[in-house]
Amino acid sequence: MGVHARELQPRELPHRTGWSVRHYTALIIVVLIAVAGGAAVAVRAMSEQDARQASTADAAFASRVAASQIAAHLLMLQQTVASVAANPGTAAILTSPAAGCTLPFDGAGPFSTGHIDIINSDGTVKCSSRPFSGVAVYGAAGWLPAAVSRSVTVAPFLDPTTGLMSAVVAGPVAGGGGTVAAIMDLAQVGSNLGSALGGARQLEFLVTSDNDKTVLTRSLNASHWAGKSLAGTAFVTTTGSLERPDVDGTPRLYARSPVGSTPWLVYAGADEARALTAADLSSNRDLAIILGGVGIMLAVIFVVYRRVVDPIRHLSLVIRGSRVDGPVDTIGMMGASEVTGLAEDFARLMATVKTELVERLNSEQEAIVSERNYRTLFEGHPQPMWLYDVDTLAFLEVNDSACDRYGYTRQEFMTMTICDIQQPQDVPKFLELQAMPMPTLDRTGPWRHLLKDGSTIQVLITSHTVIFGEHRARFVLAEDLTDSQRLALELVESHARAEHSAELVLARDEMIAVVSHELRTPLASIVGFAELLATREVTAAQRKEYLAVMLQEGRRLTVLVNDFLDLRRLEGGHLSMRFAPSDLNALITRAVELFSGPGGTPITVRMQDDLPLVRVDSDSVFRVVVNLLSNARKYSPLGGPISVGAAVVDGMVEVYVQDKGMGIPTEALTHIFGKFFRVESADRGAIAGTGLGLAICKNIVESHGGKIGARSEGLGKGSRFYFTVPIVREEAQTGDVLIVEDDSGFAKLVEAELEARGLSSIWAADAETAGHLVAHARAVVLDLLLPGLSGEAFLNDLRATRGAGIPVVIVTLKDLAPAENLSLQKAGITAVLRKGPGTAAAAANLLAQSLSRELVAI
Amino acid sequence: MRLHTPSELDLQRTVLIADDESSIRLLVHATIESDDYTVVEAADGAEAWALAQVLKPSLVLLDVQMPGQSGLEVLRSIKADPNLKATRVILLTSKAQERDIEVGLIAGADFYLTKPFSPLDLLTRVEEALEL
Repeated sequence: MGVHARELQPRELPHRTGWSVRHYTALIIVVLIAVAGGAAVAVRAMSEQDARQASTADAAFASRVAASQIAAHLLMLQQTVASVAANPGTAAILTSPAAGCTLPFDGAGPFSTGHIDIINSDGTVKCSSRPFSGVAVYGAAGWLPAAVSRSVTVAPFLDPTTGLMSAVVAGPVAGGGGTVAAIMDLAQVGSNLGSALGGARQLEFLVTSDNDKTVLTRSLNASHWAGKSLAGTAFVTTTGSLERPDVDGTPRLYARSPVGSTPWLVYAGADEARALTAADLSSNRDLAIILGGVGIMLAVIFVVYRRVVDPIRHLSLVIRGSRVDGPVDTIGMMGASEVTGLAEDFARLMATVKTELVERLNSEQEAIVSERNYRTLFEGHPQPMWLYDVDTLAFLEVNDSACDRYGYTRQEFMTMTICDIQQPQDVPKFLELQAMPMPTLDRTGPWRHLLKDGSTIQVLITSHTVIFGEHRARFVLAEDLTDSQRLALELVESHARAEHSAELVLARDEMIAVVSHELRTPLASIVGFAELLATREVTAAQRKEYLAVMLQEGRRLTVLVNDFLDLRRLEGGHLSMRFAPSDLNALITRAVELFSGPGGTPITVRMQDDLPLVRVDSDSVFRVVVNLLSNARKYSPLGGPISVGAAVVDGMVEVYVQDKGMGIPTEALTHIFGKFFRVESADRGAIAGTGLGLAICKNIVESHGGKIGARSEGLGKGSRFYFTVPIVREEAQTGDVLIVEDDSGFAKLVEAELEARGLSSIWAADAETAGHLVAHARAVVLDLLLPGLSGEAFLNDLRATRGAGIPVVIVTLKDLAPAENLSLQKAGITAVLRKGPGTAAAAANLLAQSLSRELVAI
Repeated sequence: MRLHTPSELDLQRTVLIADDESSIRLLVHATIESDDYTVVEAADGAEAWALAQVLKPSLVLLDVQMPGQSGLEVLRSIKADPNLKATRVILLTSKAQERDIEVGLIAGADFYLTKPFSPLDLLTRVEEALEL
């Protein structure tokens, strides 16, 4: 722990790229303030612009309304004047010297003030709508003469009766001699316009004559301006019809509209300063709202920052400060519940991480130590060990023992795959196993592995899957099953067997019962009949019958005992097999001949052409064939056809025996090769047999590395038995001396004697096999009494094919007649020896000499 | 199987031999052959039971180990059949089948003989059984 804790101490404020929440918060605040400022400026600018536009529009509207009202009123005045002038009463007033009058003035709206006068042609007032003063005042008026003849509208005009700046609408009285005039108080007009149209909107009205810009009236301070000309005041012409006169020093925005067909203009002026002030007030209010919003947002940010960001920073500091071996500090966490939760979660996480980290550190440390241990174990292990890549099958590591045992150097191993140490015939099976999902730990075998020198060893493989670097690998321990280890393995296996002892005891008891029964039955007959013969007077016929049974049962007992002992020896591996090349054709032919006596159905033989020689113990395989043929005959009580044949199947020679007899029930097929198993049925009861034949066959075939089996279509449909034996390899068919001898013991003796003299040999148990092998041999040891083809016949064939050049020593039990001996001598036989002690050595000596002479001759 | 004529069977007591081994049947037959009994042979359990039902033998000599129906099964069938109350049974066994002997005696066998047996002993047992 201590070693690793140092590395995990907190580091000083690690450099962090990117922005922190603090940065973002500051940015948000700056942006907020900028936006608020911008908004304020924009609001102010917009509200000023809006105020100006609103003022202009308002002024334009007001000017148009005012102009139309003035025009409408002038029209009304004209109509009034025309109406009064056309009235006959008016002329009467003018013509009657004493007539006085009261004229109604029904003007309305802003022009409710003013008066109507009926004026004599000399300018004196004859009649007036206001109290009449009797003074002629209009004599000097320039407009009067014109008005006597036609209607006129004149302004400005200083009304002599009121002393006010006025406008006059006048027209001639019908019949001539006078004028009707309607006189408006211009000051009142301006005042009325101001109060009716501009009051609430703070508009000012100016009515001017177009020509000389003489101000007719003004809504503000009308009297001051009346009659004055605007010509010479500063006008600032803006766009469109708008002008900006500075009449009384107050900047205003003016709009101008013409009044009907008169040469008058109405200016409606808005006070820009006031409008702007109002706009300012409005924009200030908006600004206040914006600033209030910003303030609230800042407050929220502040709170969030305090409740979230600060705790997170605090947590971060705690995390930086926390050590793997220290407690996680969460004290002082006062944040939002999520943050507090996060802190708690973090504390828990830290605790977990801490625990796991400590475990991992420990296990890593252990792993380092254990890897060192494993490597030592691997390198120094007395058994071969290696690692190979599961995907490529290439060796990744091998230990010294593997190099020693298999004979390859480490460098050689590294260029090999695991298949290179498998026997070629095992590779497909091995690859098949590899393709299957492998258990983590597996124990298989025994396998035969190829060593560099070509020999093989038997190994038990223990393997398990590991990750080795970037390889998926299999770690393999190969237990070399040398003799002592094989004994140990057998011991283990026998212990395993002992675990099933109860079962075994039962099986053994049953076997004893079966054997006892099988032995006692013939014994009972023999002893029983012997006793009858010994104690009773019996007839000659009876004696003969009894003795026949005794003989039969005695033989049966012998066979049974022999079979049983053979089987025991086969099972125990004590029955020695002498494997040699053999011609199955001859072997099967001899077996069939045994059954060719009278009465039996002929047996069909179907052999494949050019059947290769097989590597068998011919006596044993002969026994198997005979046994199968015997069964076929026994279980074909009606004498059905029987055939026997052999052919190459899958690299082995398969021999079959087929009959059309009783057949075998399917459920019995797996049991028939067991000891004392017999298919039970009444029709088989009379068929004799020890119940051991097939068990013996199975053992013999299996000790050849072959397989035996049976098929049957069912009861009554016949059976087919087949077995396989290996083909003899090419190289096993050559030797210096060919020994043709059916007695395997004697053949072995000769072989040993030849070997002692440096000569190799091949053995053939019959002349037919020898015929196949003799081409590869330089000399022959020949027995004359052979099964099948005789030694003499073989000799004749030999002479026919090889001439007299090949040395032949005859070793026989046969007593040769002198004539025979002579003819053999003539045939160029090296020697004829009678079998007895020392014969094998003598034959070997003769051949050694003969062959060495041959060498010298060459 | 040697069958005698029905008239003979009526007059004489019948002994049934059941064994799958012909040599044993011959031995037993030769041993007990007498003018006093008719001897009938059966080669397996099923045949023995069939003959026993028909012949109602005075004595059955039963091999225990036979293919198909075993001697013990035949014994039980005989003992369960009221028509065969008078039938005596002697078991022939191998010595190793001691358990079968025990089972057989419990099942109602009168005697047993183990193979190989003395023909004289067999004869004595047969006579004893028939006199019971």
